[in-house]
Amino acid sequence: MIIAARKLTKYFEIKGVKNAFIRAVDDVDIEIKEGEIVGLVGESGSGKSTLGRLLIRLIDPTSGEILYNIPDDELEEYDIALENNDEKAAKKIADKYSITRLKGEDLRRFRRNVGIVFQDPYSSLDPRWKIEDIIAEPIIETKAMKPEEAKKRVEELLDEVELPREFKNRFPHELSGGQRQRVALARGIATFPKLVILDEPTSALDVSVQAEILELLRSLRKKYNMAMLFITHNISVVSYMSDRIFVMYAGKIMEKGYKNDVIKDPQHPYTIALISAVPQIKRTMQRIILKGDPPNLLNLPKGCRFHPRCPVALPVCGWTANELKPTLEFLIETKYFTEFPNVSIEIKGERELIVNNADPEKLRQVVNAEKENARVLLSIKEIASNGNSSIIRLHEYKTPKLYKLSNSREVYCLLFDPTIKERFKQP
Amino acid sequence: MSAQKTAKEDKHRELKLSMEVFFSNKSAVAGLVIFLFYFFDAIILQFFPQVMPFKHPYSLTPNYVNPIPLPPSKKFPFGTTYPGVNLLTAIIKSIRLDFWLSLAVVVPGAFLGVIIGIVATYFGGLVDEVLMRITDIVFSIPYLVLAIAIGYVLGRTLDSMMIALILVWWPLYARYARSVTLEVKEITFIEAARAAGSSKMKIMFRHILPNSLPPVFVQMSLDLGTIMLTISALAFIGFLPAANLPELGYLTSLGYNYVETAPWAMIIPGMFIVLFALAVNLMGDGFRDVIDPRRRSAL
Repeated sequence: MIIAARKLTKYFEIKGVKNAFIRAVDDVDIEIKEGEIVGLVGESGSGKSTLGRLLIRLIDPTSGEILYNIPDDELEEYDIALENNDEKAAKKIADKYSITRLKGEDLRRFRRNVGIVFQDPYSSLDPRWKIEDIIAEPIIETKAMKPEEAKKRVEELLDEVELPREFKNRFPHELSGGQRQRVALARGIATFPKLVILDEPTSALDVSVQAEILELLRSLRKKYNMAMLFITHNISVVSYMSDRIFVMYAGKIMEKGYKNDVIKDPQHPYTIALISAVPQIKRTMQRIILKGDPPNLLNLPKGCRFHPRCPVALPVCGWTANELKPTLEFLIETKYFTEFPNVSIEIKGERELIVNNADPEKLRQVVNAEKENARVLLSIKEIASNGNSSIIRLHEYKTPKLYKLSNSREVYCLLFDPTIKERFKQP
Repeated sequence: MSAQKTAKEDKHRELKLSMEVFFSNKSAVAGLVIFLFYFFDAIILQFFPQVMPFKHPYSLTPNYVNPIPLPPSKKFPFGTTYPGVNLLTAIIKSIRLDFWLSLAVVVPGAFLGVIIGIVATYFGGLVDEVLMRITDIVFSIPYLVLAIAIGYVLGRTLDSMMIALILVWWPLYARYARSVTLEVKEITFIEAARAAGSSKMKIMFRHILPNSLPPVFVQMSLDLGTIMLTISALAFIGFLPAANLPELGYLTSLGYNYVETAPWAMIIPGMFIVLFALAVNLMGDGFRDVIDPRRRSAL
């Protein structure tokens, strides 16, 4: 593996507020093989750019380990050590390959091996620098070559990205968007990196230029055999470019697998919805429209973080009393308000609600009638009577993990948990 | 070969565009012309005083035979002021001192301020907090009072006046540079530089500084006028080392006692102070247009 991350986490502190964190990347495992293009898809704010920046140490992780250039068998050993909580063995391997604690000269040497191309070619090039200096910056700063060699290399790179050599004396504002992105690309690969992070490299360009850049990327990959992490929200681009796909949602990997498996046969409900939104030719689309918005990263849903929007959420996916209360209130105060006068709802803990002045039998009827419309009602385990009021208890939730479907395929969803599957068989 | 030529032409075109933007602003051109008059006056008197028909280019020549101010006439186009000083030659002599003093305050003040502002912003956190609070403290000191205090400590010399003004002028630039830097440091090319392995120093001085300088230059051109006003004010209240030093504020104060009978003795030197302040302000506005991309693309 050229790079592998284990339990990688990044929390951004909120200034002025104690103990409030934006959980941009949360306990993520990712690995990229030599010369492989990995696509990382997800909507805005899902943490995919943060993950890309973490991998090349542009930002420091809150916790977790990033291992660079680790042989497969040692990575396996490391995983086993982690599973068995064998800290000693894990540390021994981590010390050898970890880049999370690199500093100064070592970090600089590591930077030679990685490159990055940013989304917006208009802001990623310093407007006061010449193209030549921009491309040579990583070569000179990481001391990959001597300054005279760097000059030669710049000309080579301009050829490589199919720009005229004379462009080296120009300034960025004299170039078009596509030309600028080629310059950014030349800078990204200037030091012969083994891994390049492509952070939405085409989304700021128009479609014809996008195609050119994608072609160029593919030919460069072939020539230099570098691994690429292709971050994008565009599924068609990812399916064209990548070998494997990681789907990210709210800071977690939802599904990973080979491109064809994920695109043709998505397993996670989120991936299914995502792929159903890709426009198709000569076929009627069956779009699955997700309700609601991505969760607030400050205050994530319990259990699986996708459950509030999931069309097939199970009773144990992570529902809490806080989520149930507004739904119940809405039903009681609108559709069924004639049946429940003077009703008030109190939260009695994460999994318990008290409905004052309500008959449990009537409540049960409402819940049964509305189950199809609001999946949160599924989470009700029992409705007991307590004098004048009813007590609603919820199922205990379970947090999913990545379940292995096959050697290459992993899905973060309780539907694939063998113990759960038995209990809540879908009709 | 031909492409190299075009690159040169492109550069040329940029410059041409900048000129076009500047010259499309009529009042800025007027400001520039007036500024150039002051500039050449200062240059000639500083470096080639022999060109001018003055016996004493660096001091006023009083005429105690006829000390009462005379009205403008053929012999004295701007009249004279007490004690019999020819206002035209006195003003020409005065501009030199005022001009260099303004530059001597603005340039080091801006230099100090910009460095402090950039360092504060880029390091952030505690460094930012401490530096900006110091800036606030200095900012709160009234400059005239400080100048007088420093004058008492270091003696009433031009140097002490300069030091006093520099000491109070940098906070303005520190704040200004900080606001610009805050904006620049969030642009992606700074992140790209970090990904390229550049050190903090290099990022600060090779990426952030060049990108935050143009607005600072505009501010400097605007400040030249303000500083000249301040220096004149100091001279007006008697903060000058010698009694016959040609200085516009001092010239104004000489005519102060005759304001009812000989108003020109005060109005004309005062006018030259205001004219300079006005000219550099107009010119600064023109420069602001030049660095404003929206104005550029409008043409």
